[in-house]
Amino acid sequence: MTLKTFRARIRQSIADDNLQIALDNNAARRRDGRQAAFASLPDHEQRRLRAHIIKADVVANLDQYLNQFIDRVKANGILVHRAADADEAIRIFMEIALASGAKQARSDAELKPLLVAKSKSMLSEEIDFNHALETAGMRAVETDLGEYIVQLRGERPSHIITPAVHLRRGDVGKLFAEKLGIPYTEDIPVLTNTARKVLREIFLTADIGISGVNFGVVESGTLALVTNEGNGRMCTTIPPVHVALMGIERLVPSLGDLALFLSLLARSATGQKLSVYTSLINSPLPGQTRHLILLDNGRFALQASPLAESLFCIRCGACLNACPVFRETGGHAYGSIYPGPIGSVISCALVDPQLAYLAQASSLCGACKEACPVDIDLPGMLLRMRSGHSPQKPQTKIKEGVGIPPAVKIGLTGYRLAAASSGLFAFFQGLGGLLCRVYSPRRSYMHLPAWTGWGYSKDFPRLDVHPFRSHWGKIVQHVENKPIRLQESPKPLDPESRPPGKSLPDRFAEELSALGGHAYIVSGKELPARLAEFMESKRIDRVLVDDDGATFVTGIPTLRQTDPSVRAGVTGALAGIAETGSLLLTSGAGETLKASLLPEIHVVVLKASRILPTLTDALAMPEVGAVAAGVVITGPSRTADIEMTLTIGVHGPGELHVFLIDDSMPV
Amino acid sequence: MSFQAANHTKILDNYVPFYTICEVQFLRRFMTETVQLFITCLIDSFFPHIGEAMVNVLNRAGVKVDFPSAQTCCGQPAFNAGFRSTAVPMARHTIRVFEKTTGAIIIPSGSCAAMVRHGYLELFKDDPAWLERARALSIRVFEFTEYLVDVCGVTGLSARWPGKLTYHPSCHLLRSLGVDRQPRALLAAIKDAEIIELPEREDCCGFGGVFSVEHPELSAEFLKRKIANLDKTGSPTLVVADTGCLMHIQGGLARQGKNQRVLHIAEVLDNQ
Repeated sequence: MTLKTFRARIRQSIADDNLQIALDNNAARRRDGRQAAFASLPDHEQRRLRAHIIKADVVANLDQYLNQFIDRVKANGILVHRAADADEAIRIFMEIALASGAKQARSDAELKPLLVAKSKSMLSEEIDFNHALETAGMRAVETDLGEYIVQLRGERPSHIITPAVHLRRGDVGKLFAEKLGIPYTEDIPVLTNTARKVLREIFLTADIGISGVNFGVVESGTLALVTNEGNGRMCTTIPPVHVALMGIERLVPSLGDLALFLSLLARSATGQKLSVYTSLINSPLPGQTRHLILLDNGRFALQASPLAESLFCIRCGACLNACPVFRETGGHAYGSIYPGPIGSVISCALVDPQLAYLAQASSLCGACKEACPVDIDLPGMLLRMRSGHSPQKPQTKIKEGVGIPPAVKIGLTGYRLAAASSGLFAFFQGLGGLLCRVYSPRRSYMHLPAWTGWGYSKDFPRLDVHPFRSHWGKIVQHVENKPIRLQESPKPLDPESRPPGKSLPDRFAEELSALGGHAYIVSGKELPARLAEFMESKRIDRVLVDDDGATFVTGIPTLRQTDPSVRAGVTGALAGIAETGSLLLTSGAGETLKASLLPEIHVVVLKASRILPTLTDALAMPEVGAVAAGVVITGPSRTADIEMTLTIGVHGPGELHVFLIDDSMPV
Repeated sequence: MSFQAANHTKILDNYVPFYTICEVQFLRRFMTETVQLFITCLIDSFFPHIGEAMVNVLNRAGVKVDFPSAQTCCGQPAFNAGFRSTAVPMARHTIRVFEKTTGAIIIPSGSCAAMVRHGYLELFKDDPAWLERARALSIRVFEFTEYLVDVCGVTGLSARWPGKLTYHPSCHLLRSLGVDRQPRALLAAIKDAEIIELPEREDCCGFGGVFSVEHPELSAEFLKRKIANLDKTGSPTLVVADTGCLMHIQGGLARQGKNQRVLHIAEVLDNQ
């Protein structure tokens, strides 16, 4: 794409009323959501700065951290591959796919193409992965609702977090009617449920699951992946082979740092305290093979350039939502899979060197830097790009003022010459003042033609015939020499009002119910009766359980094997997290992860004493780094991919019930 | 100077919530009898009356103003457009002119103040000799309202404005300098003025220097929204503290044939 087509696309976007409504809604909703979410984090400014410092350290010592991380991941039993560029990453994946296809020895392997279930990954978009898979005769299905919608439409995502942000419910209704054969509807829960049904089949039959990685934890080799719908958990738990794609810069040193970044990520991305599912993957589940493909694709070049700060990005999309340019153009106009302010900086390094002109797609208002949870100086990066700084190959000669028309350049050079001395400057001021009078004798704001750029939507002020410097000698100053009185003293900042001290179980129950989950505090004695009563009220005749669940459930049959027809799962949990109403579950033999994911109702039994104050406390538990995989669950599965309308129950359970056993009293 | 010293304890009390004692001590070094005015090319060439209003207001705050007449432009337009080799001679010229003076340098525009305070350090980051000189200059630079409130410790300047006022926080002033509470405190102290909050006030007006010419369609959309929000306030007067926004929004109002006026905060504070 060239600058000319970029301009044409901008005009097209501005003229598209449907798109403008969608983008205006997005900007307002996301801004309000982010502000509300950060209000619950009194020390968010300090957290931002800490996050910035941690990332600065990681990026400065990337090689070292990366090697440590790889050693840990390998020791955990995950197969690690390194790819220098897109082609290599795709080649590695093909080898994995072929090897796994052979191993499964399916009788119909030659007849049916390999089925790949994909969780959302911007990295796979960066290397145009789907296209490569289709060329190789595989069937790749996007399982994030937004990604699924854009895939059905044959489009690319228009936003890094909400891929279908450019569409409205009618667009999705039409699409599903046409492609999935359901009657046209604008009912978002119906549309979501349709996608759930179609994609559930995909999860259960997929040969390979692909996911991205939000954070790689160096100290433990953990891959952290966040999703709201549960598709990320499906792709990493159900298929026999899981391939994770990760950019080499997505590292955090410790699990404590992970807790910090998670607290910033969801708040910035969607206004949640925590995403619904945070998968913590250490090693393969029994019977599963896991691969990690680490991709450079221009990142080391970026690290060595003056744009290295752009590698601090955690891909939350807050800068897109805050950007007034994105609000007008949407993502597609940028011509890169990474739109918005961060996209304008990294696209030319990671996607296409031709995209350098995106550096001019900003008024430098700084709303992006203000919104960034890692405090990346995005306007500063854009300024460096404009001045020709770029991680290009040395043979490409970079000019200053990328994307600026020659006329403007000539104007600025002329201005520089005039401003070299005050005498010359004054002469041109006077001359300009006179010319303005001639051009517009009456109006003090001149009507310029549209081709000047300025004249497109506004008038230009006349230069004054008598500039300030010519007045200066005549100004008489009367300096007042009496004490200045402070009339309006600035009010001291309110000390952060902390919520009154609630007990941890109460705080947990409150946060959970705000997310649409339910918590019941019961005594150990009454638990069996309460559970049986609950199962009866929901008409559940058999349940999927893990080890813990099996000890609690009495009276109805319990299953350990995955059976799609079972409606409820009962599991234990390692801990609860009061500040976010979350549960930390670890894998056991993989049963906990499946029983908490596949059924539509998830029941958790947990001792109230196992509720910890914060996510940091929970991730500090030694089990987190030791088990094969774990997940932090924050409420029922949800999506807001269609018109940002919250819909509960996508791929994961739509209901979450927590029985807290009150063990505060000694038995 | 004595009255200013007497005021010092009061300033301390007032700014402890915002600044550490060290910062207050630092700011106090700039409570000089005479300050240097960097008028900026836009006010110099287009709006000289704003410069005069500013001198009056500073005089009322007990400060005498000097104008080093060799000054021209700080180089921001070229720097922001990406032409650093064009911006360097302009920045050097500015540094040379103001190095010959002492005391605080007052700039009535957020983006120009941000250019000298932050932009010069970026511009000369690979030139140690000039970087040192740029650094020495950058700490002397204050935006107009920032100087009045944070250094002089004044808000009430016995200004009077009968009627409604609404304030647009300019992007560089707000985000590069972090100056917002200062102009608000100054406006709040104006007698008879009714201050109305501008909806979506922190949104860019679409000026952005070369951006307004380079991407006229985008700039037009930003401006349209800013003017629509101004209409919602019902205020006939929009106050800004940056001349770029002033000429952009006023230019838009002129094109649309609207009557609202955009005034620099110095003009409003000068009214008694």
